[in-house]
Amino acid sequence: MKKEIKHTFYFTQAPQEVWDYLTKPELMEQWLMPSDFEPVVGHHFRFTNPNNSFVVCEVLDVKPFTDLAYVWKNDWAVTKTPYTSKVSWTLTPIDGGTELLLVHSGFELFKDLLAHNSGWMFLCNKLGELLKVPKK
Amino acid sequence: MSTQTLDAFQVIADPSRRQMMQLLSKDSMTINALAENFDMSRPAVSKHLKIMYNAGFISIKDIGRERYCTLKQDGFEELQKFINYFDKFWISKLKKLESLLNAKAKEKQV
Repeated sequence: MKKEIKHTFYFTQAPQEVWDYLTKPELMEQWLMPSDFEPVVGHHFRFTNPNNSFVVCEVLDVKPFTDLAYVWKNDWAVTKTPYTSKVSWTLTPIDGGTELLLVHSGFELFKDLLAHNSGWMFLCNKLGELLKVPKK
Repeated sequence: MSTQTLDAFQVIADPSRRQMMQLLSKDSMTINALAENFDMSRPAVSKHLKIMYNAGFISIKDIGRERYCTLKQDGFEELQKFINYFDKFWISKLKKLESLLNAKAKEKQV
């Protein structure tokens, strides 16, 4: 069971340029989604999915050209789920460009619930045995 | 009893239900044995179990006079699908960003 989603991408552009694509709504829209994002800690914003549902967000961390993080909640999940997920971006200058690390975390609750996967077979076998007990 | 159908996320949103799952992860239990762990009426416990049952988190089997609850994987798979969905979502978005930036780099070269 995955606890978090992690991806590293490499770009030939400098961190400053990649940063623009992570923080300027008109550029974010070109690859991610339209939003009313502002690179200000505490700013509440929403991404609009193509199907007109929203991702409700709040900026948690802004270190220009280095770190960016925000809360990520699908709107249908806002009231229904006990979890809050977090999207964070880390930009590292490398020889000939930028290393971009994405971490989407906050699935710990699922992990805990799913940690019992290995116990499933045992439980199923046990149930099988229980079912062999003749009914009264 | 109402036969409420909630999705996997609504099911795990309730702390009592999560606690029931924790208990059931150790072993199958009868509804009565489960109810002993909670400060709520037996019908209230049954209602929670029904919700978990409807969403595929548990199965309920009658053995003799007792009703046994056992964890079932279906409900949990829904949650797993959700994470897998996001994994794919980000890969596709990042690839899009990559091709955007690549196109831009080429423009500059020309």
